[in-house]
Amino acid sequence: MDPTLLTQYVLAGLVIGGIYCLMAVGITFIYSVMKMINWAMGEFYMIGGYVQYVLITAWLGPQRWALALPLAVLTVAALGMLVQRLLLQPMFAGQLERLDEYATIVTISLTVLFRNLAVVLFGPYQFSPRDYAPPVQLGPLPINGSRVVAFLGAAVLLGLFALVVRRTWLGLALRSVAQNRLGALAAGINLSRIDMLAFGIGVGLAGAAGALLAPVFLVYPESGALSTVKGFEIIVIGGLGSLPGSIVGGFLLGLVESLGSVLISPSFRDVYGFGLLLLLLALRPTGLWGEQAREA
Amino acid sequence: MIPLGWARALGPGMPGASTVRAAGAAAGLAAAALLPFALGSYPVHVLTVALYYVILASSWNLLAGYTGLFSLAHHALAGLGGYTSALLVLRAGIPVPLGIACGGILTYATGYAMGALTLRMRTLYLALATWAFAESTRVVISMEYGLTRGDLGLAVPKLLAATSPRPYYEVFLAAAAATVAGLAILLRSRIGYRLRAIRDDEGVARAVGVNTVRWKRFVFALSSGIAGAAGAIYGHYIGLLSPVGMKFDEMALVIIMVVLGGQRTLAGPVLGAAVVEVASEALRAYGQIRMVVFALTVLAVMRIYPSGLMGIARAMARRWLAAA
Repeated sequence: MDPTLLTQYVLAGLVIGGIYCLMAVGITFIYSVMKMINWAMGEFYMIGGYVQYVLITAWLGPQRWALALPLAVLTVAALGMLVQRLLLQPMFAGQLERLDEYATIVTISLTVLFRNLAVVLFGPYQFSPRDYAPPVQLGPLPINGSRVVAFLGAAVLLGLFALVVRRTWLGLALRSVAQNRLGALAAGINLSRIDMLAFGIGVGLAGAAGALLAPVFLVYPESGALSTVKGFEIIVIGGLGSLPGSIVGGFLLGLVESLGSVLISPSFRDVYGFGLLLLLLALRPTGLWGEQAREA
Repeated sequence: MIPLGWARALGPGMPGASTVRAAGAAAGLAAAALLPFALGSYPVHVLTVALYYVILASSWNLLAGYTGLFSLAHHALAGLGGYTSALLVLRAGIPVPLGIACGGILTYATGYAMGALTLRMRTLYLALATWAFAESTRVVISMEYGLTRGDLGLAVPKLLAATSPRPYYEVFLAAAAATVAGLAILLRSRIGYRLRAIRDDEGVARAVGVNTVRWKRFVFALSSGIAGAAGAIYGHYIGLLSPVGMKFDEMALVIIMVVLGGQRTLAGPVLGAAVVEVASEALRAYGQIRMVVFALTVLAVMRIYPSGLMGIARAMARRWLAAA
């Protein structure tokens, strides 16, 4: 196979992989702090897309998409914090038995709620915002400008996220809660506030992915479905609860999808990730960076 | 005063023998079997579909409610069973009942293989992997249109020659009754105690000698097989299979039925499936708002009364008996 073409596909895979990282980091971050999977992650992605679309078509105009992005992210994060306060907070306060079960059922109900609300409010149509930027010449072949913007946006956000988690007091608090909730509580950390912030940040990342990818994958009620699956695949591949695992897993998934599309068939692009997941579960069940503990 | 059979069927704290409970169930079953003769063909069709969901919800409750394993591929396994049976009947020319059996066996094997890969890990991995499995299966079925006709839908030979839904209703009633009775027997056996021990505390279960991985894998395979067989019968009743029926909304519907009815009860999923399916037909004119209402109801139930309709019924019966 032509080496320049191969490089091209590798690059395309890495670009899309960078955006998958946003979803995966959000899922694993919420899991680390709150010990629950947010199954409605894709719906927050979808909402991010809708907010972005509404902002640029109804208010800011297509030229000012860059201004709409942070607004969309903040809206989704605020919605996430509201959901956390109203529905998920009671699971820690009320000491329900089987917290993860409660969280699973509640967030799955949220997927149904948000998807169908989107249909009720906007109809089952696909909306497509204009491309954020003209195609970019990357090597011999052009790459869609919106994808490049999305990749750069994802890189900036992940950098910001890493900075907050590693260098600030908030990040220290988040990491301590992830390590030991009781210990963090004893050290005077307000757990309910940290949970709310963690959930807001986590779904904010998904909302950012949705807003960034709005022109690439379009905006419609079920747009979150595949992105959630990819997020989960990355989580299993990278190891549940590992941030580096999510990043490496994201790029790996992007690469496998891109190369699978050229080498095997493009129709099954969305299935290669599952193949990778099965392979990894068979060879290295804890994921690339997984915790050694096998039981909850 | 409520009938004796009811009072006894309602809760553990009350006097009652399993024979009374079984007699009550048999009477209910007989009444259900006669029901279609009092109704028109459309209501019978709705009830037939409700019985299909009774099978899905009950078998999912065995997994999630009794064993603590959240599979999110129940709808995909039902679809896979349906396609397996339909394609074998269409391409290999085998009889329909044999196709249904093959659908059940294939999904049992799929469940077993997926369980073998994921169940050594923490149980969340099963949920994550099954979700990925469900979406991937749907994508493959809609892309392999040469075989499955993709989104156009596959016309499936009918199970029975009859055009009226009445005989199908009886078939589904028998299948649903067999499923629920089978689960009741399973849960009363030593295996049932092992499963509940796994749910309550896997570490302790292992410490007292339960081979947790083996039983989790078994129960996942079993409930996958039930879903596959039910999906196969359903396909041969409706006469059309399409990947649209394998969307996640279907899975969410099953979860809503179980949660609304009451997890960890045998009657809960039956009640939940009937209520949700009938309500969703009655409110058909309102379109997607139905699903919004169901989702909000489940959120309210989880927030206020997590034991569902069966929990409410039990609490009411207890109060009633105390007052009497």
